[in-house]
Amino acid sequence: MRFADYLLLTLRSLRRSRLRSFLTISAIVVGATGVTVMLTFVTSVKNFVTQQYVQTGQIDQIQVSETPNLTYSPTGSSNGPGPQGVGNTSTLTPALEAQIAALPHVTGVAAIAQGFGSQDLAYLSYGGHELNFNNLSAYEPDGVITPTLVAGRDLGPTDTANAILVSSDYADALGFKGSYAKLVGQTVELHTDTGYTGVGATLPSVLPPQSQCNPTQGPQPGSSGPTCGPTASLPAIDLPAVVVGVMSAASDHGVIYLPLSWAIAIGNTALPAGSGIVSCGPGTRQTCPDTGQNQGQNQGQNQGQNQSGQAPGSPQIVTWTTQTATQFLAQRGGYGSLIVKVDGTDHVAAVATSIDHLGVSAATGIDALNQQKQKANAIGLILGSLGLVALFIAALGVMNTMVMSVFERTREIGVMRALGARRSTIRRLFTFEATALGFFGGLFGVIIGSVFVLAAKNVISKSVKSGSLSGANFSVPIWLIVVVIAGTSAIGLLSGFFPARRAARLDPVEALRYE
Amino acid sequence: MAIGGITLTGVTRTFQVGDEEFHALDRVNLSIDRGAFVAVMGPSGSGKSTLANIIGGLDRPTAGSVVVEGEDLAKLGDAALSRFRNKAIGFVFQSFNLKGDSTSLENVMLPLTFARMRPKQRKARATACLERVGLGDRLHHLPNQLSGGQRQRVAIARALATEPALIIADEPTGNLDSARGAEIIAMLGALNADGVTLLVITHDSAVAGHADRVVEVVDGTVREGSAG
Repeated sequence: MRFADYLLLTLRSLRRSRLRSFLTISAIVVGATGVTVMLTFVTSVKNFVTQQYVQTGQIDQIQVSETPNLTYSPTGSSNGPGPQGVGNTSTLTPALEAQIAALPHVTGVAAIAQGFGSQDLAYLSYGGHELNFNNLSAYEPDGVITPTLVAGRDLGPTDTANAILVSSDYADALGFKGSYAKLVGQTVELHTDTGYTGVGATLPSVLPPQSQCNPTQGPQPGSSGPTCGPTASLPAIDLPAVVVGVMSAASDHGVIYLPLSWAIAIGNTALPAGSGIVSCGPGTRQTCPDTGQNQGQNQGQNQGQNQSGQAPGSPQIVTWTTQTATQFLAQRGGYGSLIVKVDGTDHVAAVATSIDHLGVSAATGIDALNQQKQKANAIGLILGSLGLVALFIAALGVMNTMVMSVFERTREIGVMRALGARRSTIRRLFTFEATALGFFGGLFGVIIGSVFVLAAKNVISKSVKSGSLSGANFSVPIWLIVVVIAGTSAIGLLSGFFPARRAARLDPVEALRYE
Repeated sequence: MAIGGITLTGVTRTFQVGDEEFHALDRVNLSIDRGAFVAVMGPSGSGKSTLANIIGGLDRPTAGSVVVEGEDLAKLGDAALSRFRNKAIGFVFQSFNLKGDSTSLENVMLPLTFARMRPKQRKARATACLERVGLGDRLHHLPNQLSGGQRQRVAIARALATEPALIIADEPTGNLDSARGAEIIAMLGALNADGVTLLVITHDSAVAGHADRVVEVVDGTVREGSAG
């Protein structure tokens, strides 16, 4: 029998038992729809994440961080706070940055710092709004780091100071919800703590007497600054900052970025020379707590000053000294991390290995992406399994339908055998029929699944405007359509195998007698 | 031995009924010439249908040899035996056995479909067969839109479709009234006149009266009989 004849007889047979065919196909449709929707969701999320990594360049990037030193040392950890030598390859220094930049296939390196400046800044203000700094970070705007923007532009090499990027949730809080472009170019004020002596501060030549200091006084509202010490009485100032761009809150939530050079200038505060102030470590630029060695040092130095003829409680005449940026970095233990851009995804692993050999940890964007994909795959496996269970039940339905069909058509099978049909012809006829049930179940399942996906896409795009999935392209991939239809057809074929074999093995004489 | 006809030599067909063996045919020797019109008569359960099934290649004997149209059926596998049934034998059943969801034309085309004939040719052949049995105006009718006599004529047209050398009709008039039965027998007689070997199983002596030869099957054995 010709292939077209098998098809024709199959369709006629399905049409003859319309209700039973419909119910059997419906069971397959349920499973196929489930598999289509679930796998589309997982695939779309994976594609979206990959797209994000590619768009932001993270796929070609390596994040370099310090390797934690777990060895106990009575003199202190080499990675811990405290002064460290420049060029120490175990910390993220400008020297290491230059070393990495010189590696083959590296096209750029950008340093990231968190905390530089944030200990000196109290809040952000604009048009009557005053907002806390949730995550104040800084990076080298050399084109390596490219935040996802919804308005304006990225920080550029010319933005050395007085420029910031804000995430869209900050823009929302400043009253620019839905009109982020209007915030671009606006100047906001970064309000410093009292006692601020960083860039932009007016440094007096005479400090007020230390007796004005009240060590028990708590922090002022909105200020994390010092409440005592020789610079405590210096006024807070406002540092103007132009918003050059607004970032998507989906990728950067509650973030403000400063150019690294400005963050260093803000954090690298001036110290009054000979004022008795000693450094207590990174971020500490005022008098230390009244405990231990520092107290002794203070006392000793103050005693020295007293001996030089300056009475306690009298104004101190000071000269101000500021560390170089390198010294400041060394004191602060180097950068927070480095982002390395590589000239191709294929070279990422090799460059990461080279960086590891420099004594620091290198995490690639590909690794991070793969982790994300693995999570998505795990979810897909769980969801897909549910669909497969539904399909398994549907397969039993197909088998049941075909067994019933063989019973009902026993006499017809006998007649076909008498008219010259071979056993193989009968087997193929029933196998075709079962496969057709699976095929149509898969086809309608994909169609209905696509409708669900389309509806879900509309719901998501309307209700989750700034959500992490709003940009995901929810559409059923062609390969999934092919896999689902081929899969359900295969399920039909397998389910129909035994009933078809049974039909083919019927004795024609017995079949003709069957009532 | 009948060249091109039917030759049964020592044919035995045994069925297992519980612990006992039942001989539906017992060492049957029968020879039928090509172009003969043979009526097979006998009481119910005598082995008439078993004989017809074995000659038609639907059943195989437990012992003995069956040669039909020069083919030793015992030597044929399923595919070859199916091809033999398709090409050489036409079956007409008492209850017509038409596919209920198919038109007259489609029913007649079915054996031609198994013969892998091209669609245009099979349609032309089936139309010609239906016209030959007087149903040229009922090509697209479903069986339930036809009378009993018309249905049996569709079945005869289907049996004719592959131009077989032998037509086996098992009680072809059993479900028809006498007038329609006479029409069918006349039609089968006309086919026989055109050279087709005709083997009709019947209880009806009137039908047997049209035959050249009557064979009686009694308790699994065959003997020459008479229509009366």
